[in-house]
Amino acid sequence: MSDSGVQLIEVRKSYGSMEVIHGVNLTVPEGAFVVFVGPSGCGKSTLLRMIAGLEEVTDGEIAIKGRDVTDLDPSVRGIAMVFQSYALYPHMTVRDNLAFGLKMQRTEKAVIDERVAAAAAILKIEQLLDRRPGQLSGGQRQRVAIGRAIVRKPEVFLFDEPLSNLDAELRVSMRVEIARLHRELGNTMIYVTHDQTEAMTLADMIVVLRDGVVEQAGSPRKVYEDPDNAFVAGFIGSPRMNLLDAVWLGDGQVKLAGRPEAAPIAGDGLAAGDKVTFGLRPEHLQVGVADGIEARVDVLEYLGGTRYLYCQLADGQPLIVEYRDGPDVRSGDTIALGCPADRRYVFNESGLRIR
Amino acid sequence: MTTKKEARARRALFSAGGYHGTGLLLAIFFLAPFAITILSSFRHGTEARLPPIPPWPTTGVSLDAYRSLDSFGAGVWQHTLNSAAVAIGTALLTVIVSLLAGYGFSRYRFLFKNALFVLIIATLMIPFQSILTPLFIILARLGLNNSLIGLTLVYVTLQLPFSVFMMRNAFDAVPKEIEEAARIDGARDFRLLVRVLLPLVLPGIVTVAIFAFLNSWNEFLAALVLLSDNSKFTLPILISAVRAGRLGAIDWGAVQAGVTVMSVPCLFVFLLLQRYYMRGLMAGAVK
Repeated sequence: MSDSGVQLIEVRKSYGSMEVIHGVNLTVPEGAFVVFVGPSGCGKSTLLRMIAGLEEVTDGEIAIKGRDVTDLDPSVRGIAMVFQSYALYPHMTVRDNLAFGLKMQRTEKAVIDERVAAAAAILKIEQLLDRRPGQLSGGQRQRVAIGRAIVRKPEVFLFDEPLSNLDAELRVSMRVEIARLHRELGNTMIYVTHDQTEAMTLADMIVVLRDGVVEQAGSPRKVYEDPDNAFVAGFIGSPRMNLLDAVWLGDGQVKLAGRPEAAPIAGDGLAAGDKVTFGLRPEHLQVGVADGIEARVDVLEYLGGTRYLYCQLADGQPLIVEYRDGPDVRSGDTIALGCPADRRYVFNESGLRIR
Repeated sequence: MTTKKEARARRALFSAGGYHGTGLLLAIFFLAPFAITILSSFRHGTEARLPPIPPWPTTGVSLDAYRSLDSFGAGVWQHTLNSAAVAIGTALLTVIVSLLAGYGFSRYRFLFKNALFVLIIATLMIPFQSILTPLFIILARLGLNNSLIGLTLVYVTLQLPFSVFMMRNAFDAVPKEIEEAARIDGARDFRLLVRVLLPLVLPGIVTVAIFAFLNSWNEFLAALVLLSDNSKFTLPILISAVRAGRLGAIDWGAVQAGVTVMSVPCLFVFLLLQRYYMRGLMAGAVK
């Protein structure tokens, strides 16, 4: 077993006869910021709760810093968790909330005071220490919840959608703060979210989950630029990648909406006539390219710096284009679209990327 | 302009007057019986036989009524003590059992959980008078008839269905995450219950305690049937003896004094704890 931050080996979870986590293998390097993303119900929270020890592991092994913690109590795993609902103790002051874990471990009072003061200073909540959670705003509560985690000096921080209860503006500033915290503390952090902006901005490593299976794990850049399959390609990126039905013609070409398009791949494992999915990201599509893919603009969304064009190809397939600058486009217009060769993705019928 | 303003001010005055007037009237309706009882309990012994108008002492304050009340049974102190022991014991035991049961029903998964819960609630539908005879026989077998402990156990049994229901709701209203956070912080089992959960379900506990206290303090029939020893009677039985009178002559002063002695602790308990009690009812209502 390596001495990495967190290691999951063939981890499975079943409720009765229903398996929800299907043999996850994952190595989180020490000090890394790892984000679990996926649609709701994909098992990302369950996986996090299994690492925390709040859910039993049906099969497999979880190690933290090389130590097998699969059957250990949550309090001795060296983890701390921040919950979506903050889960502060409403009847205690902020100070007591922060100190509670240490009191339970029978830490000396002087040490407790020192650590609480240090955590409060890091999070700038010194002036709130004598208040109760009910008297705090959402953002302040979240700071206290993070402070409660810091005070325990854990090996690993676990965040379960910590920002989803905050309003949009606060979410951005707390996001920056969590990034700063990671830089200052240098601990391993595992973060669950369904917000891909959070995932892309915070992560050293993104783990994309679907139906209890890891679809891809890698740096934000890797999962965005080099997705392993159509699901990851569609999930990462906003607006989502256009996944279009096409037919492989061989010789680095696909037939899209009745006409051939260059798809610069070797096409191993594909035979001419195979159905494929052709992926083009809205932000990579250029408008007004000679001999480009023809599309009719249905709806136009103006967002200031950019515009989203909701189009239809000649065969009726929908397509979204991000349009930054150029001549005015109106709904009903027909536009010709191009895309750089290295930004064209091909997936086979079962959704796997063909390179 | 001014007339409009004046008209509005007048309307506001009328509506405020109506609101407070109605409130005052209702308050008088509710408070009058207490005032009449307490005031007339301080009338002279000679006055007690006169028609009760006016209901307050006219010839000076006296404790005659209380002295007379004390001459019934084993003395009013003894009976008050009996009642207090039974009521406090019932409240304590009910709280302990329903706290643990409510926690179990709310948080643990076990076989036949819901069936058991429904069974407990279903006992509320059994009129307790109908099981008085079997209860009497069971207590006699256990050697607990004619004992305050036996009576307390019967009260606790009668009180439990409602209390378990109440406590389960109270625990259901506590978010699971708080418990999980406490488990990560290292609080388990008993410490988790006492340090983290107990303060959160306090309104429920207070509600259960008040109900248990008031119901057992006021209960008459079971006490009458199960207790046979004069010195063990609780206050409601004493009062019924006072109300029945001696040789056909009813000492109304003693009756008023008895009612006062009985209602003051109830008022005290309720006023002291009503803040929590109301919150407890809300917590149960929303969930």
